[in-house]
Amino acid sequence: MKQHPLCTDCENPMTPLDLPIPGAAKREWAAIETRRRFLGRSGKVLGWAALAGLFGELGIRTYARGADIKVSSPEGRDDLGLPHFAPKAKRAIYLFMSGGPPQMDLFDYKPNLAAQFNEDMPDSVRGNQQLTGMTSGQAHFPVAPSHWPFRQHGKTGTWVSDLLPYSARMVDDLTIIKTTNTDAINHEPAIMLMNTGNMNAGKPCLGAWLAYGLGSMNDNLPTFIVLQTKTNPKENNQPVSSRLWGSGFLSSEYAGVGLRSGADPVLYLADPSGVDRDVRRKMLDTVEEINRQTLAEVGDPETNARIAQYEMAFRMQSSVPELVDLSKEPPSTWDLYGPEAKQPGTYAYNCLLARRMAERGVRFTQIYKRGWDVHGDVVGTLPVLCQETDRGTYALVTDLKRRGLLDDTLVIWAGEFGRTVYSQGGLTQDNYGRDHHPRCFTTWMTGGGVRPGITYGETDDYSYNVVKDPVHVRDFNATILHCLGIDHNRFIYKFQGLDQKLTSPVPAFVVQGLLA
Amino acid sequence: MAAHKFFGAIRNLRIRTVTSQWLWTVGLTATLLVLPFIIRLDGRQHMDWLQFVGRFHPSLVHLPIGMLVLLPVLELAGMTRLGLRDAAGFVLTLALATGAVTGVVGIFLAYGSGIVGATVTRHMWGGILLLIELLVCVAARPAWVSGQGQRIYPALLAISLLTLTWTAHQGGSLTHGSDYLTRYAPGPLKRLFPPAASDSAYVGSVYARHIHPILDAKCVGCHGASKEHAELRLDFYEFLMKGGKDGAVIAARNPDRSLLLQRVTLSPTDKHFMPAEGRTPLTADEVAALRAWILAGASPSATSIPGIATAAENMDLPLQPVGDYSNLMNEIHQMQVSEGAKLVAVSATPSDGLILRTIDVASKFDDAQLARFQQFAPFIVEAELGHTAVGDDCLDTLSKFTNLRALHLEGTSVTGRSLGKLSSLSQLTYLNLSGTKVTSDALAPLKGMPILRHVYLFDTPAEATSPATNNTLGSAQ
Repeated sequence: MKQHPLCTDCENPMTPLDLPIPGAAKREWAAIETRRRFLGRSGKVLGWAALAGLFGELGIRTYARGADIKVSSPEGRDDLGLPHFAPKAKRAIYLFMSGGPPQMDLFDYKPNLAAQFNEDMPDSVRGNQQLTGMTSGQAHFPVAPSHWPFRQHGKTGTWVSDLLPYSARMVDDLTIIKTTNTDAINHEPAIMLMNTGNMNAGKPCLGAWLAYGLGSMNDNLPTFIVLQTKTNPKENNQPVSSRLWGSGFLSSEYAGVGLRSGADPVLYLADPSGVDRDVRRKMLDTVEEINRQTLAEVGDPETNARIAQYEMAFRMQSSVPELVDLSKEPPSTWDLYGPEAKQPGTYAYNCLLARRMAERGVRFTQIYKRGWDVHGDVVGTLPVLCQETDRGTYALVTDLKRRGLLDDTLVIWAGEFGRTVYSQGGLTQDNYGRDHHPRCFTTWMTGGGVRPGITYGETDDYSYNVVKDPVHVRDFNATILHCLGIDHNRFIYKFQGLDQKLTSPVPAFVVQGLLA
Repeated sequence: MAAHKFFGAIRNLRIRTVTSQWLWTVGLTATLLVLPFIIRLDGRQHMDWLQFVGRFHPSLVHLPIGMLVLLPVLELAGMTRLGLRDAAGFVLTLALATGAVTGVVGIFLAYGSGIVGATVTRHMWGGILLLIELLVCVAARPAWVSGQGQRIYPALLAISLLTLTWTAHQGGSLTHGSDYLTRYAPGPLKRLFPPAASDSAYVGSVYARHIHPILDAKCVGCHGASKEHAELRLDFYEFLMKGGKDGAVIAARNPDRSLLLQRVTLSPTDKHFMPAEGRTPLTADEVAALRAWILAGASPSATSIPGIATAAENMDLPLQPVGDYSNLMNEIHQMQVSEGAKLVAVSATPSDGLILRTIDVASKFDDAQLARFQQFAPFIVEAELGHTAVGDDCLDTLSKFTNLRALHLEGTSVTGRSLGKLSSLSQLTYLNLSGTKVTSDALAPLKGMPILRHVYLFDTPAEATSPATNNTLGSAQ
């Protein structure tokens, strides 16, 4: 037998059978590594590779042609057979309270807690739950009742904290879910799960799925727009990254388009001096010509996405300045949203933009408000957070309602998880902190498709565990899709050998009790 | 001599046999015809063993069906291979015998389970007719084999097969539901079979929106037009209130004494629990809705009832299906290219209709352009004309959009002086006039439109006279 030139022990060549590995692995090696098997397999692999080469070119050509048609007709989502049924809502606005708002300080009223101030929460409530590293070392889990009184509001008599005087006025329109629950206890996985249905990166978010599935209603604005609220340095701002509004394995034209929170919502949108519209048009036509050649040669669908995005940017040059021009808003707008709405980047301003986008046919708008991560000084920061957001939220819903837009717009208010009833760090008469809590948190929806004036689900006396009617994040997302005319089980995209869904492969259910 | 005698005896024997065979045929036919009058299907359940045996009917029935379908094949093949012709005679007799057993078992099933209804009756008489035809076939076949009476037997066989098809279809409708074959038929084929009439007399009421759908989903399978278990039908309000063999099932204002509610709230293991036989029980919400409805008087036309009011207020009417526009796809696409405005499908189901979407060309879209969409009028369920250049004349065109459910005219120059033209739109539930010059006087003609519940008047002269936050006419009335 001819020896390998680098082999030092020519008498006794090493084989994997001599290695200190489990017997099962050795047997497997012995079974697979015969010369006959190796040659046989290589032959087959070569044959398949050749066949794939023959068909592959054909496939790419077909794909590129199909993609061509898509560019010329952005409406062409008929091929997906969507919406599956007549939707109640055509569009959605998602108010994302990043950081995790404390449910028992806002909506989940627990009057019994005041009597248990500073008492340890019974261990049976927590069970064998694994806590975050921030409180797992605590010797005590003292109950921290909410610092603020609650009052009943509206015809439904819904209890709302005094921190939310504006939201309290619209409780009769809200579908409040007290039992939303998630699998993750830390921000990044939880916020990914909430937005993309999966804790790991690489999956498309709700907005991208909607852009892909329902398409645009308007040629001149993106289908999916993301608005960031300027951060307040007094708050504990967890970062949010663009993968939260990314398109994952879907074509990147479905990703959310972020508008900046400054005065100039899209940088370099205006043509440079000396370049007029015609010149710009000619330049883009030429670039498109080159892109189409690339597409024909390479057949990468991402080239199509690039062509579409150049075109969208060109149209946005006129549509975005009109969108953010608030000079024609009637005085009633400022009465409703408050003077803060005039400053770009505030939450109220973003809410006003969201209403203007709804009017202009943007399918999905997501507003991010960071800073809800109140580990400490709840009494100091929570009023600031509520003051920043409460009026804008109320103004948006009320404005949509009076203009007749709420009938076919779904508005969603949610964070990625809730907060613990026990205090993180020291509990005093004046202040407390709250850690992350995934087992139950309060969210709400209103508008097209959901039943107004109800509170869904019940939590236990500590707002810690779900007692009745849990709504998992997957069910929450399935219900949102249902309101938009989509059956989440049939809305799939084949990728990596899996029928990918927003609601992940784990079974999810539309929550019928939330529907109108 | 002896041979002559022998053949004479044979002939006599054959004549006698033939005669007695015909006597048998007539006798059995008479028995079959009388049978349904002896064992009357009275809608009551009878001895359990009848049902036990009877439930083999759906499987047994395939035996005679198979043989009957085989029979013409054997007869045709028998023209060249005589052995097969002999076999055909045997198969015919066997088909008759198994058919008779199946028929008896079928009557056991019907009688034992107390099922009645038009389809049951048709299925039963179809089976009896088929058996009679087979009896005659058996009697007529020897003549055909011996070369006399060339046509009778083949004709009878053909008729039997037609009867078989029809009867089998009735039976299939009983087990799978009457729309089993047509439900997923392609559009053009489907139109040949219009869906059965539904209880549409009370459009918009709580009964129509909440109660009827529950009964339809959970009860009508056994208590409907095709099956009337316990002589009870729940597919129409009148039948529901009439009740069944145990009397009325709804006691208005008294849910606890309403038999229907009692039966659906028994323990699922109870013999009388409904829906019977492991079918999906009613949910707690459905029971609550039934209870609230009965408590409020079980009215067919009430539109608001405490207890289910929250859902009722915001419940839109079930969408009325519009025609299928699939054949017009080319024209729709051309329209899009030439006018810029789009006709977008509400959903993948064509009968959900089209949305007229003008947002990309809003500033240029005027009355004349709208008029060009008139050819699609029956299919358009929503017209998004907000911020377009249409004026009062658009209402002339829109009055022909008879299936319109939602109309957006916000930010247009419509003054409202001809809003009365919309009164022909019986499906309209949503009208947005925000930002127009509409006055409260102009709205008067809309008061006669009962289901127009969402009217938006933000930023109009009419706004001041209507409630500030909720501009619905419904609440103003």
